[in-house]
Formats: sequence, C-alpha cells, structure tokens
Amino acid sequence: MTHKESSRRDFLKKLAIGGGGVVLLGKYNFLFGNQPKNGILKAIIVDFDKCTGCRTCETACSAFHHQIEIEGEMLNGLGNPKLANIQVYHYNPDVDIPSICANCPDTPCVNACPVTPDPITGHKAIFRDELTQSIRTNHSVCISCGSCSRACESERTGVIKMNSISNHPEHICDHCGGNPQCVMNCPYDALSFREVDVDGTYFGLSPEEIAEKLFERYYAGEEVVNG
Amino acid sequence: MDNIFGQYGVLLDVNLSTKEIKKTPIPKEDLKNYLGGRGLGMKILWDRVKEPGMDPYSPENPLMFMPGPFSGLPIPSSSRTTIITKSTRTSPKNKKYPHSSTISYANMGGFFGPEVKFAGYDGIVVTGKASSPVYLLIEDDKVEIKSARAYWGMGTDMFDKALIEKFGKGYQSCYIGPGGENVIPYASVLNTAARAAGRGGVGAVMGSKNLKAIVVKGTQQPKLAQHKKYLELLAKARQAFRDDKEGVEYWRSGGTAHALESSSDNGTMAVKNYREGTFKEIEKINTKAARTQIWKRDFACFSCRLACKKSGFAKGAYGGVIHDGPEYETGTMVGANLLISDLEGLNKIIAICDDYGIDIITTGGVLGFLMEARERGLIDLDFLDGIDLKWGAIDASIDMIHKIVRQDGVGKLAGLGVKALAEHIGNGSEEFAIHVKGHELAAWNVNTRAERMMITYGTANRGACHLNSSSPTRQNHNAMQDSLGACSFAGAWYKGDISYRHFIEAITGVEHTDEEFAMIGERIFNLEKLFNYREGFERVDDQLPERFFKDAHTYGKGEGILATHQDFDNWIEAYYKERGWDLKTSKPSPEKIAELGLNFTV
Ligand code: SF4
Ligand code: SF4
Ligand code: SF4
Repeated sequence: MTHKESSRRDFLKKLAIGGGGVVLLGKYNFLFGNQPKNGILKAIIVDFDKCTGCRTCETACSAFHHQIEIEGEMLNGLGNPKLANIQVYHYNPDVDIPSICANCPDTPCVNACPVTPDPITGHKAIFRDELTQSIRTNHSVCISCGSCSRACESERTGVIKMNSISNHPEHICDHCGGNPQCVMNCPYDALSFREVDVDGTYFGLSPEEIAEKLFERYYAGEEVVNG
Repeated sequence: MDNIFGQYGVLLDVNLSTKEIKKTPIPKEDLKNYLGGRGLGMKILWDRVKEPGMDPYSPENPLMFMPGPFSGLPIPSSSRTTIITKSTRTSPKNKKYPHSSTISYANMGGFFGPEVKFAGYDGIVVTGKASSPVYLLIEDDKVEIKSARAYWGMGTDMFDKALIEKFGKGYQSCYIGPGGENVIPYASVLNTAARAAGRGGVGAVMGSKNLKAIVVKGTQQPKLAQHKKYLELLAKARQAFRDDKEGVEYWRSGGTAHALESSSDNGTMAVKNYREGTFKEIEKINTKAARTQIWKRDFACFSCRLACKKSGFAKGAYGGVIHDGPEYETGTMVGANLLISDLEGLNKIIAICDDYGIDIITTGGVLGFLMEARERGLIDLDFLDGIDLKWGAIDASIDMIHKIVRQDGVGKLAGLGVKALAEHIGNGSEEFAIHVKGHELAAWNVNTRAERMMITYGTANRGACHLNSSSPTRQNHNAMQDSLGACSFAGAWYKGDISYRHFIEAITGVEHTDEEFAMIGERIFNLEKLFNYREGFERVDDQLPERFFKDAHTYGKGEGILATHQDFDNWIEAYYKERGWDLKTSKPSPEKIAELGLNFTV
C-alpha cells in the first residue's frame, strides 16, 4: 500500500467514525477559518462520463483570472491554458481528466504549512477563506517551502504547483468568487459546483488515479460506480 | 515584429542536415494574403521550391506544420493543423520531370497546432535529413534535435503512450509510425494516436527526413489587435453553438459516421471498389451498431463544441483493441468498399492502419483494387504472395496491410498505390484504378452526383480530395478555412456577424471587404494550381477513372445513372471558365494571376 492510499483510507475511516469535521477539529489541527462556516463546503465536481477533453474549461478559467487592461477597462484575457486552476490531463487509452482542487474538509495543504497563524485571522500562508470557503494563499507570508504542494501531491489531487518564478503555490481553485467560469463555459455540462462529497468515487484523487479507474470503467468492461 | 497582431510573424526553421535551428521572419504581407495553415504553408512552399521536378523525398523538400491565426484561441472548434509539403503521391499523365508531383496538404484536429502557437510560432518548417532517427523537442524558445532511436519502430499507439509517460501534461506531439519510418508513400502523421493528417504522403516525407516526432510545449500567446471586439465575437460564437442544440447534437451523437447510413441510402457511398453506391449490410456498421458495440466515449479537439471523435473498444474475435471507432471515411474505405461488414474486424483494420500510420482512405482504395483485380482474374494468388484477398476478407486485408508496411513482396508494389499497381498489372486494370493524379478517391462515390463529384475530385490540387468541393466559390472558401486553423465541420456556425472575416479583423487588425476576404481563398487555390501547372499537370490530369463513365451502379438510388465524357468536358470547361483558366492547358490566365497578386509566379 502506498503512503497515499493509507493516508486516504485513514482519512475516510476517521471521517466516518467522527461523523464530520467538527470532531476532527483539534485532533487534525483544524484551525479557526478552516472550518466550513455553514457546514457546507463546495467544489467543482466533474462528471467524467460527460467530459470530452475539449479544454474549454482551462481557457475560461485562465481568461477570467488573467485579465488584461484595455483602455482602462479590465477584460478577460486570451485564456492561456497553462495558467488555469483547472488542468485537463489526457491519457492513452483515451480518457481526459479535468483536475481541480477538491476543497478537502481536512485541508492537508493548510495543515502542512509551517507558517505561524496570524493571531487575528488564524491564517497561515495557505488558509481557507471564510467568505468563499475556498483555499487561498497569502504570498506575503509564504516562505516558499513547498509543504502545501507536497501534502496535496502525496495525499490528494496534486493541483498545487509552485510558481517557477515566484516560488509560491498556485493553481488552487477559488470558485471564481462563486461564479465558476469553468462550469458556465463547459460545452458538455460536465462540471458542477456542488457540495464536497468525501465518499465520492473520485474525491481527492490525482489525475493518474482517476485515469486508472476510468480505464477500468470504459475499456475493461467493468462497471465502477460513478461518484 | 512590427505591428503584427494575433500572429508572431515567426517561423521555426529547422534544418535536420545541418542541425541549424533559427527563427525566420514571415513577411507581414504574407500573413495578410495567406493567413496561416494551408495558405501560408503554400506560400512558403512556393518560395522554397524554386524549380519544378524536385524529388519529394529529397532533403530539400520543406515539410511544414502550420497552425493558423485562430489556433490557441478558444474559438469553438479551432484545433486544426495543416501539414504541407510536395506530394509523394501524385504524378501527371505526361511527365515533364521524373519527379513531377503536386502540392500536398493534410489536415488534423487535436491539440498540436494550438501548442505550436503557444510556443511562439506561426508554423514550423523542417528541411534536410537527419543522419539517424530524431525528434524535435520545442519548449518555447528552446528547440532541440533529440535522438529517437529508442522509439524507432514503435507503432503510434505505443509511442503515444511513451510520450505521455515521458513528458506528460502540457506537451503535445505529432508523429509517424512504422509506415512513415519505412517511407510508405501514403504514410500519415498522427497526434493523440488517432487524429491523422492522413492524406498525400506527409508521413512519408517526415519519415524520409528521419523525423519521428515533434514534441512541443509553449506558454505564450500573441497580442490581439482588437481584444474587446474579439471577446464579443467569442461570446456570440459560443452562444450560436449553445442555441443550436440539434446541430451540435448531430456531431456529438455520431459525427461523420452518421453519413454511413445516409450515404448508402442515397447511393453515394464507395462500395466494392466504387462499383456500387449502396451497401446492403450498412446496418451492421452504422452509428447505431457502433454505439452499441464499439463506441465508449466522445472526444473533442481543442476548444471544440462538437466532440465527433469516438473512442471505442471491441470485443469478440477481433476485440481487445481500444481505438477510435469507424467514422465515415474509415468505415467506408476499409468497410463498405471492401464489403466488410464485421464491425469488430473493421475496427481492428482501422486500429492497425493508425498504429502503422498509413492513410486509411488510400489503404481501402488499394485493397479494393486488388480484390477486384483478383476477382477478374487479372492477378492470382501467386501475385498476392498467397494472401487470399477476396471481398469481405478481414484477415487477408490485415495480412496485406502488414506486407505493405513491411515492404515485403507484393507489399512493395501495393505500397505505391493503385495507379502504380494498374501500370504494373495492365490489361485494362487502369479503368478501375480509382485515383485522380495518382491520389486515390475518398469514400464518396461519383455516379449518383457525377457533376458535383467529378469536379470535386478532378480539380482538387492535392489529387482526388473529397473536401475540395465543386464550385470555385466553395473551393476558395475551404482553402481560406483551412488557413485559419478552423474545422470545416463547424464552418456552418460562422456566418453573419460572427463570420471568419470578423474574427480575422479582431485578431489581426487587418480589414478586408467581403470581396477581398473571398479573394484570399482564391489566391491560395490558384497558387496551388500554379505550382501543379509548373510541375506539368494539365487538363488531362483532371480526368476521372474510366469506371465512372462505364459502370453504372446495378442497384440503389444511383442505378443506371452514368455521365458521358461529353458531360464531363462541358462541366470542366464551365469550371475553368469560371476560374479564369485556359481551356486547353488549365493554366490560370495572366489577368487572373495579376488580379490575385500572384505575379511573382511568372
Ligand atoms: S470544458 Fe467540460 S468537457 Fe471540456 S475538458 Fe473541461 S470539463 Fe471536460
Ligand atoms: S485538493 Fe489539494 S489544494 Fe485542494 S484542499 Fe485538498 S489538499 Fe488542499
Ligand atoms: S471555478 Fe473558477 S477558479 Fe475554479 S477551476 Fe473553475 S474557472 Fe478555475
């Protein structure tokens, strides 16, 4: 069993025993602000049966987050896919995996951050934002250690990449402030913005792990329950 | 580059012999007059091939990989890359030079062209020949020629997996298989192991240069001239697709494969080496059958709304292959045209051809020709090295494909295409050798719509081509469309205030009247024609095989319909007149040449 599998299994087991985030608080070092405000955490959920790998979501995400100023007006950019928070991975045999921050209730990324929490907000360099409930970063206190990225990589989706120039974490979905551009622009209705389900078949998995499951599902004749 | 918007004005110029890698500026005028893709590639071909008669396999033959001004922008269904070179497939009836051949362009969807654009280039041109197998690795400005020894001999599927393993997310690639490596004249170039630039031997030219693949990753995008206007057009275009649920669903639910049934019903399908137009067993290979037996998932190219690619997995005797299921061209050419109706077997043939990287349209033409020659007793089992090639024979077809790619025995000859086969076999076999200028016809049969199809195939500049269209206006439009990076399947949505012209204006800032814009396609088409004319292609070379004047279909909608040579002469003359071409030689007139700004050709 790999490290990742074990930590994921433990996580799911403990969630089941504890019945949710509240009990885990403290024990798993949940800090103020990591806790879902109203008990509901949302994330972008992919319906892999519908995704065609067109990468429109990448371009929509990138265009929205990397705007350019034209005659005093801020406008969507051209949508360079490399800059998107959602990244579509392609495999052979054909499966395409849009990979996005799962908005994990137990935030391995935040837990791993060694920066001392701000005494007032409780925020480390990476934290759960109270307003949007998404994981945000504060580059001014980030020490570029890469702990968040490694934690996400070894335990969950692996979406966090350290920017090659600034060396700060990036590619973490911010739900576009509640108006997810990828969801709105996906031509195949493959994306939705809904409650995180840690029991979902694909919750928190890396693109490689999801690809494995989809190979089985489509090309080995074995039905796997979609989550 | 001064004042160039939406493009870079930069061509990545690689010489594999000298290992010189440089950025060559593209004149602003050329970007305006030829856009990109097929058009700009043609202009560069003309500029570089200074004398007629060049051997397409000579190191000097430039091989171009051209995205267009739409590439890399999320304009719906703008994924196409055109590969342009001098053809390995064509030859005129009266050879002016030993190596006379036409231009060649082949077009593929997927993700390669957009990535070339992200890397900061409007195109890549490869000349020379590497001394041993190489691939090209491009990461923005960093361009390296790497050894491909470890990959040489790999089928495209295994190679694609190896590239994903080695490079992973963010890289795109296109490559040849053993077909291209062995310089089979009709070898193709693929990306994502299934999307093929199939026609005209572009893979053979790539193989002759010892170039296995191009792998590219880029991070850039050029600045647009009118950013805000572009965003408005993009929003409108996206809406236009959203509003047309039915139109989009046609492609999503089956893509070109839907035409299998309708074309058979209409008597317009290539069946039994084009002898008939309707396939009696069509229901075994139509969309419904494919959906239930083979197709598993729908896939889209970069930013595409149609998702016409169907990956499939067959079970049964020919099962175990995971590959794209049949679409219209592949399903007809190695299906109906060979009277093969076993869907799993058909799927396997497609998978093998793609894995080798050979043009499935031509392969179907070659197999069909051999089956007919055998049936007529013009060749025997000995000629076929014991391969029992009969109508409907799946295993024999597969054996022959292996022989072709391995260049073994009869495979050597079959690898040259139907024109060469007929020349060798003689005995009137040229009457059913289905090609124009040496290039095999595609899956749309002729007789039932003779005028339209004869002009389409006869006047196509790369040799017989189903995407050419029959009227000069449509042909010009298609040449322009192929020069944008846009997909012809989505062309119908780009009309009125979201027409291609508006997009080009917003992207490049170059304003065209409708008339001027239409002239771009006309210029491209005529430049191609002038290249071919210089090589010695004349009116006689626009002629179709005798079959289409002699053998009426015996059943179906096309039953009994036959065009005469006189009909054809009338149609082609009307076409030349509309084109402004000489009726005897087919050469574009001096006035036409001047009008289109092509005086540099004289
Ligand atoms: S836009 Fe939708 S269909 Fe396209 S890759 Fe993204 S999730 Fe998949
Ligand atoms: S997916 Fe990664 S970045 Fe997102 S919450 Fe989980 S660990 Fe953090
Ligand atoms: S919700 Fe917004 S930030 Fe998150 S992946 Fe989608 S487009 Fe990107």
